Amino acid sequence: MMETSSQSNGDSEQLRPGLWQTVNERYPGSMITKDDLVPLARLKKPLSECRLTFVSTSGVQPKGSLPFDTVHPVGDYSFRRVPSNSIPDDLEIHQLKYPTVGAKKDLNVIFPIERLNEIADEGLLGELAPDFFSFIGYNMDAERLERTLAEDIADAVEAQASDIALLAPA
Amino acid sequence: MSLDYLKQAVADKDTECLIRYVRLHFGDGNETAGRKEIDKAWIEALKPLLDMPATDREFILTTLAEKDVGTLAHLYFHLHFYFVKRSGEWIHDGDL
Repeated sequence: MMETSSQSNGDSEQLRPGLWQTVNERYPGSMITKDDLVPLARLKKPLSECRLTFVSTSGVQPKGSLPFDTVHPVGDYSFRRVPSNSIPDDLEIHQLKYPTVGAKKDLNVIFPIERLNEIADEGLLGELAPDFFSFIGYNMDAERLERTLAEDIADAVEAQASDIALLAPA
Repeated sequence: MSLDYLKQAVADKDTECLIRYVRLHFGDGNETAGRKEIDKAWIEALKPLLDMPATDREFILTTLAEKDVGTLAHLYFHLHFYFVKRSGEWIHDGDL
């Protein structure tokens, strides 16, 4: 039975307090602790003036691009640029670790590209960055993930002068 | 399991830890399922050879001789999923 709790645990709220123990039993040694922390940045202007990008672990990628490496035992540390003006028919999913039945019917459930375009068109957002970014979440080398993939995506996001990066794990 | 954990297992010659990781990877976190997936892939690799079809041994031998061990190991993982897919019994939530 899934555990749920609304009790606060220090500064954070753990909705499933037994989850980490379960993960650690199934994948020993997978738990990672970090001492440093980058605080979330505060918006300096209204949403209607902001440029937004989207960063996803969904494995969504443009058709014809090199498929994500879903079989490598240590993971894939590359990312794909997904033009924000793409339509779902331009895109496909390569990943093994989450159910894609719903996403194949409507990509927006995992990669809400049409919804984001709609709210940009409505003026709720200033605009979308030219590219969104996608990778797969199966990565066993946390240090490489931070040193290469995360840094590369951060550089790419910064190069497109985005004010907001919407992060969505699959 | 983190990469550091696996490298330590290699150093310690902890083969049970390593094969457990492979089973978990192939079984999407379920070790028993992963064991069956390994068996399934080998069965699928056996079936097409029973009638002794002509095979491209030159390609195989050249590949083994000329490619580095990392590429061959990566190919081995690809072949596992290829034969599992070919079996028609796909247990994974997503796709390749």
